[in-house]
Amino acid sequence: MSSEQEKLIAELIEKGLAGDMDSINAIEDRVLRSKVKSGLAKAKRAAKNAAVAAAKESSPEESSAEIMPSDHPNQKFAFMIEEKFPDSLADTLNDTHIQIKPDQWFEIASWLKSEPSLYFDSLQCHTGIDLGENMLEARYNLHSMKHDHKIEIRIAVSRDNAHIPSIEQIWRIGDWFERETYDMFGIFFDGHRDHRRMLLPEDWEGYPLRKDYEVQETYHGIIIPKVKEGWE
Amino acid sequence: MGILENKFEDNVVVAKLDKLIGWARSTSPWYFQFGLACCAIEMMSAAASRHDLERLGMMPRSSPRQADVMIVAGTVTMKMALRVKKLYEQMADPKYVIAMGSCATSGGPYWQHGYHVLKGVDIVVPVDVYVPGCPPRPEALIEGLLKLQEKILDERPLTRKMA
Repeated sequence: MSSEQEKLIAELIEKGLAGDMDSINAIEDRVLRSKVKSGLAKAKRAAKNAAVAAAKESSPEESSAEIMPSDHPNQKFAFMIEEKFPDSLADTLNDTHIQIKPDQWFEIASWLKSEPSLYFDSLQCHTGIDLGENMLEARYNLHSMKHDHKIEIRIAVSRDNAHIPSIEQIWRIGDWFERETYDMFGIFFDGHRDHRRMLLPEDWEGYPLRKDYEVQETYHGIIIPKVKEGWE
Repeated sequence: MGILENKFEDNVVVAKLDKLIGWARSTSPWYFQFGLACCAIEMMSAAASRHDLERLGMMPRSSPRQADVMIVAGTVTMKMALRVKKLYEQMADPKYVIAMGSCATSGGPYWQHGYHVLKGVDIVVPVDVYVPGCPPRPEALIEGLLKLQEKILDERPLTRKMA
């Protein structure tokens, strides 16, 4: 890379940081453009980290104004969802996941699959997490075979009202995924056509992967030894 | 053989019926073909050509009605425990059980924190021979089966047991 080019890139990154994305997008040379973009992302990350470190030291509450998405695909997708389904995001934009509210999840999911520019045709993974503090969370990892991009959707619900719309009719693989999450965490998936336990017997009590799970004492007359007893 | 000695031709064997039945049973203990976990792979290996259980007269049967020995090969979960019990009840007498591997004998690695694992299959069915190992080698399983054969040989099915 010539020093001239380096100079140009640095200039463009400066511009990008100031909010002028058009001049970057106008670059004809693909290699140069991608170099500028990656440099811009790096600079932004550094700035963000510095801001976070500063925020930790000074006031915890920064201004929570509506931020435009960065170049990160995750933020772009989240922004698209927010545009299409207003008030569906439960968290600000970030680079790792999209936190959404459970209410419109079925509509969002079918849109994510059918929208040509997204086309998330594959539900790669779905699982649950006990967040503690009376909250449970379901997570969905989606991938598009066509565009080769992926996102992670997170939906947090409270234990007292652990209901999430089922996406089993959108991605058929979700059938067993959701049954397992129901089995282990007790999250109910409304609209699931075969909502039974997946692994444990039908008459099992409790949801084992919850943090406060207590093992039942007997099962059909078989005594289950207490976990704490034994040779510890 | 007392008074019966030399009364018959050379190729006739004389024995007590009691012992004969025990001998016959011990040399053809057909085992019930089902596996629950990794131990099942070792059981299959024991039945395959290298170790060849059939040379001991043991052949896998797919129905509990035709089986004499149930080899509980693997982790018995609570859900499976009821089914193991049912299968055991469906077997015709005389019937024997071999607990193969740590899980079937005591719960194995799930001994302490496996909420869903039965801590030893002997809680639901009577076990004749325990084979330790995780999983046991086919040789260990064969050793267990030979021990079972000894046990069956020592039985006296026609002798009235003292109450």
